Amino acid sequence: MRRTLLAGFLVFAASAALTHSKIGSTVPAHGAVLAEVPAEIVLTFSKRLRLTRVRMTRGGEAVDLDLSGLKVFAARFAIPVAATGKGLYRIEWRGLATDGHAMRGAFSFRVK
Amino acid sequence: MPDIWQFASVVAKFLLYLGVLGSTGLVLARIVFRRETDPLDTPLRRRAALLGVLALVAGALGFVFKAAVLAGESSGMADPEMLGLLWETPAGTRLLLLGAGVALVLAGLWGGGLNIWIAAAGGLLVLWSFSRVGHVADAGSVWLDAILLLHLGLAAFWIGILSPLRALAAASGRLAEAAALGRRFGRIASVTVPLLIAAGIVMAWRLVGDLAALIASGYGLALLAKVTGVGVLLAAAAANRFRFVPAMERGDGQGAAGLRRSIALEWLAVCAILFITAGLTGLSGPPS
Repeated sequence: MRRTLLAGFLVFAASAALTHSKIGSTVPAHGAVLAEVPAEIVLTFSKRLRLTRVRMTRGGEAVDLDLSGLKVFAARFAIPVAATGKGLYRIEWRGLATDGHAMRGAFSFRVK
Repeated sequence: MPDIWQFASVVAKFLLYLGVLGSTGLVLARIVFRRETDPLDTPLRRRAALLGVLALVAGALGFVFKAAVLAGESSGMADPEMLGLLWETPAGTRLLLLGAGVALVLAGLWGGGLNIWIAAAGGLLVLWSFSRVGHVADAGSVWLDAILLLHLGLAAFWIGILSPLRALAAASGRLAEAAALGRRFGRIASVTVPLLIAAGIVMAWRLVGDLAALIASGYGLALLAKVTGVGVLLAAAAANRFRFVPAMERGDGQGAAGLRRSIALEWLAVCAILFITAGLTGLSGPPS
């Protein structure tokens, strides 16, 4: 019974992860390898949303990106990024769709 | 993988569905089966009121959990910016309609007689609010809104009969009354259940699109899991109608015991269906 419940939970979690965290495109693209840190990252969505938090992690350090000038519902956001060196960058975003759905997703890129 | 606040939102939404459908269903069952449920009036009103309060609390919790999802941490639950932002979207509208609807339900349950119709109006207002917010609302189709309202109303009606039917089947000396209620519900369900399923199929088709998308998307797979739960529910309902109720009509006490077990199974299936639905509407979206 426990195994069945666990399997059900995992299928449910996986299916959930497959869905509402969609994003149209990102710059840099997920998995991109760059020579230098980009001056900004660009998130493009299929529908308008309002970003509520974008967190950038490199190594063990995490920093929230400044969204103070981006407090609007939009389909495209260009967020300035401070150059912090080489390594694997992970960007995790959260936002609210106009229909009231809370959305989140993540992508990563590497700077060599 | 969804974070802890997303799962908390899904659990709150599950309790919201349970409260809304359970409360509205009891009110509808009390109206449709007035004579059969008269001996249970007070406990049914009390249960409907409790479920209404559960819906309100779960709705409010779901709202603040969603603010935590937006912030990515618990502080979001008290963050005026996140809460204010949510309030301006349909999520705020739904919370408002939920509060108004539950207030009507409680006010209607307070008095007797025709007040039950006020409670029914409150329940239907809350059910209608589900068609104003969410994937169906996103589709922007009035007839799809109407189909969702029909689907929810019929689902509530089905859920609402479970408690009175079980209570009568468990009471000594009420075998004939329980059988009569089961028989009458069975006759009505032969019309309402196909309608309920047809409405569900139409919405799934409209939202998912085609069979390939149903299998390929997480939303579609969760929808298939929900259909499996509905299958269990139908099997239990068929056993009630064709086996246990006829046995009770013959005065066989074993029929009542079988009916109670079957209703317990139906409750399990209902909870599974509502939990999956909470995930479908809270975490995932139809394939675009």
